[in-house]
Amino acid sequence: MIEIDGITKRYDGTAVVDNVTMTIAPRTVTVIVGTSGSGKTTLLRMINRLVEPSAGAIRLDGDDNRSMPGYELRRRIGYAIQGHGLFPHRTVAQNIATVPVLLGWDKARIDAKVAELLALFQLDPAIFAARFPHELSGGQQQRVGVARALAAEPKVLLMDEPFGALDPIIRAKAQADLLDIQKLLKTTIVLVTHDMDEAFHLADKIAVMDKGELVQYGTPAELVTNPATEFVQTLIGASERPFRLLSIETAGQAVEPGTADGQPVDAATSQRDVLSELLWTGRDALPVAAADGTLLGKVTLEGLARRAARPQ
Amino acid sequence: MVIALLVAYGTLVAPFATFRANRIVPGEAKSILAALPVSAGVVLLGLMVVAAAIILLKTPALLRLAAAAVSLGAIALFIGLTATYLTPPENTYARVSPASGFWVLLFAYALLAADSITRLRPRPGVRVLLLIATLAGATAILVSGLWDGLSILKEYAGRADVFWLEAGRHVALALGSLFASVVVGLPLGILCHRVEPLRAGVLNTLNLIQTIPSIALFGILIAPLGWIAVNVPGAAAIGIRGIGAAPAFVALFLYSLLPVVANTVVGLAGVPREANEAARGIGMTDRQRLFGIELPLAMPVILTGIRIVLVQNIGLATIAALIGGGGFGVFVFQGIGQTAMDLVLLGAVPTVVLAFAAAIVLDALIEMNTPSQNRGRTA
Repeated sequence: MIEIDGITKRYDGTAVVDNVTMTIAPRTVTVIVGTSGSGKTTLLRMINRLVEPSAGAIRLDGDDNRSMPGYELRRRIGYAIQGHGLFPHRTVAQNIATVPVLLGWDKARIDAKVAELLALFQLDPAIFAARFPHELSGGQQQRVGVARALAAEPKVLLMDEPFGALDPIIRAKAQADLLDIQKLLKTTIVLVTHDMDEAFHLADKIAVMDKGELVQYGTPAELVTNPATEFVQTLIGASERPFRLLSIETAGQAVEPGTADGQPVDAATSQRDVLSELLWTGRDALPVAAADGTLLGKVTLEGLARRAARPQ
Repeated sequence: MVIALLVAYGTLVAPFATFRANRIVPGEAKSILAALPVSAGVVLLGLMVVAAAIILLKTPALLRLAAAAVSLGAIALFIGLTATYLTPPENTYARVSPASGFWVLLFAYALLAADSITRLRPRPGVRVLLLIATLAGATAILVSGLWDGLSILKEYAGRADVFWLEAGRHVALALGSLFASVVVGLPLGILCHRVEPLRAGVLNTLNLIQTIPSIALFGILIAPLGWIAVNVPGAAAIGIRGIGAAPAFVALFLYSLLPVVANTVVGLAGVPREANEAARGIGMTDRQRLFGIELPLAMPVILTGIRIVLVQNIGLATIAALIGGGGFGVFVFQGIGQTAMDLVLLGAVPTVVLAFAAAIVLDALIEMNTPSQNRGRTA
């Protein structure tokens, strides 16, 4: 659990982050969104003390994050940034091993961890361990960057626009992989982005920052149905609201009994993508199948329309 | 092709060797055929023609390198022969020295060798091996006594003890001041990188020092060093005086600081921002970041600075002789004083060879430190 308590950061008297209080539940994905200059990155960097707050406190599982030296704190918290930040003179394996080496793990444990992480990120250790970062594609570099952040098995992973440098196709894949890995490792993820689609795709809860203030902190559905300010509404986009609602839930959550013709969609597909498929193929219903192929029922155009409407 | 023209000029037009009745009178120029026994002259001419043909035709780089090596070896051997051939027996005053034709040929083949080596792109280690082979070849000829009849070596023969003494001083001056400037300059560069307000001041001061002519700097240093020698106990005992090796050392050290400090600052500034950011974000201390990330990534640029300093110092150390600092400059200035060009060469040639060898070794070192990163920047 991360408790952010009245945190403020001032530069030359101007508050970049102004008295923000929020509690991040363990094993969830929290996305901080906002325009540039909203203070979202500064807020993130105060969690691992890359930036020292002017006032307030941050507690990790009840312990003030100032109870140990900054570098020791940062070794316990994963950190991944835009453009991966890999060390160009070190191999992939050495990059991933950075924090375990700093922590003084023995060699066998480090090697095992590196191999495990490479496999987890779908990079064959035999091929990739000895490569240098420049020998990887952008998507591979990004994965190694996240693998490095997770090497010391941190409970918390901070990510600053981690997918910002990726092209849209690789980005979608990277986001899906991140969610899978989060479910597997149960890491608490705090991620900063300015991309609302990304926020809605990944977040359990979204924090909206504007001019240093936390203007709303809630589930994606709450943000859509009940925006706290004009700014939140603009950020979500008035015309996007029904689609945002649909993008939060999966096809599996909209299943109705019955059958329909056509190729079944996976239960994990977002309702938004199912709607898109329905509209494009000119159907009014599609069958839904679980990951193992068993048919669960159908999703109808009418059912999705009901779900996309403003809650009464 | 320019090199072929140079070879033709060096072979046919310019004199190969000069014969003088004694070491200071103007000499008598001799062409290849006049300077060598007929058979040897013909062989050398033939070789030069073959070499020129290889240069003119589009031949593989390896063949060109071989041609350059053989030709260099040939002119080195034959210039030794001219000495024994031209010097009348029992005459110790007569001097035979390489003339413009020899130097032109030497330059042309060195150029050809350098060019073909560049085309072959050998690995850094191979380049150093080539350098060692070349130096070993020259040493072998020197030891064999083949060149003993040449004027430079006649000058050397009379001064063998002094030559090695001055050589030691020269190297000590150049390397010692380099070492001192790295010991001081590297931390200063790191400090300038970390403390931004300091940067402009330090670099401007060092720039200013760089613009002072060396002789003027020696002059400026006489007063403070003289004062230290008189007033600081023990200073005079370790050799600190207004003239001599101490001011030469201090001057070379001051000149060396700018390249070392500036390249350290530039190198550190060139470290990718994300790498630094990530290093901090995953919990490296400042010291771990400096030694683990920043310095290794800045190393090629820093080594380039050290290369500049080393080559510059080997050359500049020659001037130290003017204020009694010793080094190869001693022969250069004595030679100028006595209008004995051979003596000047006795000082100049080793200086050039030393600087050249230092440049090759450090270039190889720089390349060995770059690979992963250079490729990284282009990716």
